[in-house]
Amino acid sequence: MTSLATRTIVLTPSQGVVFLLCLLAPLLLLLGCRWRRRKILGRMSTPLDWSIPAIDAQAHGSSVFHCWMPAVKIGSLLCLSFLIVALHSLFWSMVSVLIALIAVHLARIPWQRPLQRLAAVSGLCALFLLVLPLTSPPRPGETILLVPLLEWLPLRLTGVVLALTISCKAATVALLMEPMFATSELSRTLQGFTNLGLPGTLIQMILLCHRYLFVFQQEAARMQRAMRVRGFVPRTNLATLRTTGNSLGMLFIRSFERTERVYEAMLSRGYRGTFPAAAKQFPTAKDVAKGLVAVLIGVLLLVLDRLYPVQWP
Amino acid sequence: MAAQPMPAGDRPPLYSLRHLTYTYPDGTPGLREITLDIFAGDRMALVGRNGSGKSTLIRHLNGLFTAQTGECRYQDQPLIGALIPEIRLRVGMLFQDPDDHLFCPTLYEDVAFGPRNQGHREDEVDRLVRDSLTMVGLDSLCGKPAHHLSYGQKKRAALATILAMKPHVLILDEPTANLDSRQEAVFKRLLHEYTGTLIIIEHNLLFLHDLCERAVVLADGRVYHDYAFNDLLSNPQALREHGLDFTFRFAGRNRHYIGAGHHHHYLPTHDHGTEGGHLTPKDSGVPLIELQHYSFCYSDGTPAINDINLGLFAGETIALVGENGAGKSTLAHCLLGLHRGKGTFLVDGRPLVKGDWPLLWRRVGIVFQYSADQLFCPSCWEEVAFGPQQLGLSPREIELRVQKALAVVQLEGFDKRVPLHMSGGERKRLAIAATLSLQPEILILDEPTASLDPKSEEQLLAVLEALPMAMLLITHDLFFIRRLCSRTIVLHQGLIIRDYKTGAFFADNQLRTINGLDNIN
Repeated sequence: MTSLATRTIVLTPSQGVVFLLCLLAPLLLLLGCRWRRRKILGRMSTPLDWSIPAIDAQAHGSSVFHCWMPAVKIGSLLCLSFLIVALHSLFWSMVSVLIALIAVHLARIPWQRPLQRLAAVSGLCALFLLVLPLTSPPRPGETILLVPLLEWLPLRLTGVVLALTISCKAATVALLMEPMFATSELSRTLQGFTNLGLPGTLIQMILLCHRYLFVFQQEAARMQRAMRVRGFVPRTNLATLRTTGNSLGMLFIRSFERTERVYEAMLSRGYRGTFPAAAKQFPTAKDVAKGLVAVLIGVLLLVLDRLYPVQWP
Repeated sequence: MAAQPMPAGDRPPLYSLRHLTYTYPDGTPGLREITLDIFAGDRMALVGRNGSGKSTLIRHLNGLFTAQTGECRYQDQPLIGALIPEIRLRVGMLFQDPDDHLFCPTLYEDVAFGPRNQGHREDEVDRLVRDSLTMVGLDSLCGKPAHHLSYGQKKRAALATILAMKPHVLILDEPTANLDSRQEAVFKRLLHEYTGTLIIIEHNLLFLHDLCERAVVLADGRVYHDYAFNDLLSNPQALREHGLDFTFRFAGRNRHYIGAGHHHHYLPTHDHGTEGGHLTPKDSGVPLIELQHYSFCYSDGTPAINDINLGLFAGETIALVGENGAGKSTLAHCLLGLHRGKGTFLVDGRPLVKGDWPLLWRRVGIVFQYSADQLFCPSCWEEVAFGPQQLGLSPREIELRVQKALAVVQLEGFDKRVPLHMSGGERKRLAIAATLSLQPEILILDEPTASLDPKSEEQLLAVLEALPMAMLLITHDLFFIRRLCSRTIVLHQGLIIRDYKTGAFFADNQLRTINGLDNIN
């Protein structure tokens, strides 16, 4: 019969504070971002800005990532991301976060954008960090952590480690998104995806979605504004449901009509089913070398993770 | 009346249309028995009321629609099959809404789309793109996405996407809709320089005046007249018959005023010196709304309006003019409380407190530039009743208000019509009715005449002249300003640079030039 004896560690108050801060970091990041946003907008006395930031807003910078051929860059960074996702140990996952931070630094992107990405995934990470330490299945010989003042809430160390590992890997991938997508124009990035073998129709759909998302957003905002100035206040009643349905229906019809007009505009400029590409690019030795370095980093992390899995003390 | 073809000389036609008929899938007739020749080098205006078939006709010329009955020939070959993709590379077509044209992530890609489809080498594409963007004055914005451009810039960018293809035929659908006169002048210059065959759909006959030599008038899907352009202008009966009579614009000139005003505060809310025109008039009364030192910045920090001092009084009609991007619409949104800036906002002489903002819509109504955005209900009755329903009025009162508002805008009996299926002019009037049913004390109209044919403009003018409430008219249309407004406010880069009697505004040639308003009558 397997013994279910456990080891209990009672943290000192200072250790407890640090531990809780680590555990709640994603939640704090999320709340901090929201608070900052509200503060800025409150100072400017404007309504909340729901505008969608352009994915390639930093495409015209200069860094090792900006001058990297998109197809090779995307391919190798995606490969690196998958290798990092395959890591098991917390230590090497934390090392991967460090590598991603260095990558963002090298890409010379304002930190606000990667932080926004981290804030976007922080909700999910916070959920893991709050739930897994309490719910992970009991294992023989496992360690229970007791935080001062929260002794009534024993935390399972395996759950904590698992949640932190997942969070680190999520943060790494979120951070790598910026060097991957923000350092080339969207058209070149999508051309890169085409070179990697993604279907052309899918690429065209992404391209048009990215462009018309902004147009539909503006149309929806104008319609909402028109409703507001005629006294509409959304409530939980049938009238609100009907009005919302009407406006959504109208938006849908107008979107459909626009789709037809855009297609006509494309046809009238010689569109025959595929977007004409700029002259085909070929990777240079430098591009390939950068790609190899990225993949090697991933492989190295994975090998070290498997050979030297640093255990929680 | 039957078509009277213009003498063609010995030129062979570029397009030859014979008994061309087109019916939309829902059964709506688009074209009926069109017979028309278009010659190489023609500069042709295609005019007629909204819904007369102009857009349907030009879609045949570009191969977007093919002949259902009859024939459409290009250089004596039927415009079908393999010829269509070839034609599209030679015939450029500018649609009304520039957002339809700009579907790529950057302006450069958009302009390069056509030349690349034409099979040009990449260095040649680059040259064509840069030349075209320079021609329309947007060369510095080639890396920008379309949603970062102003409306006027988008319109010019859309033209650049066509010009880069060096088309033999250029077809434009309402190129000047919603543009200020400065942007219009850019278009006019570019079209003057264009040497190929030019076909323009446009309601603004004054814009077409020295651009086109030929005018084809369409009505109910038929060619009714085929004139020399100047002959059309000199035929008031034909103009009136087809809703093109813009001569009402020349009637009733000099109806307003002489005299200058100055900036001032109507209500003393803070200490002021008398310098800089900040005087308090003695007998001006209490304005319905007054802004004092009011400024607003967008969330990205871009200043929109700056230090605005403005009072709106009961019953007066004010024109708000300025170049595209001057901040006119933003100011209107501030007056509605949609944007909240810094400064003093007084209603009936009292500063607005926090709880008052949401109720501002009861006193100020707005008709937006794109009236389609304002219409979201399945019938006209519901559209007009929407506002009163939000007020919680009784069904009897709602019915009363709806019928009254529809009558004021000359849409009696339209209760069950679907707004989406109505013409541009009717939609605009419906949007006004939807606002009037709230019985506002101030009505703001943002570019009310944009994209309307002359007949609809005339109807709109009659409606606006009959309205009793205070109005703020945001427009580039000097005729409407002259006819309707007693006072004109000039906005430039977010600042009010003049607030004076309309007569003084018309006498101020320099200022009209600054604001690109100097070439409309």
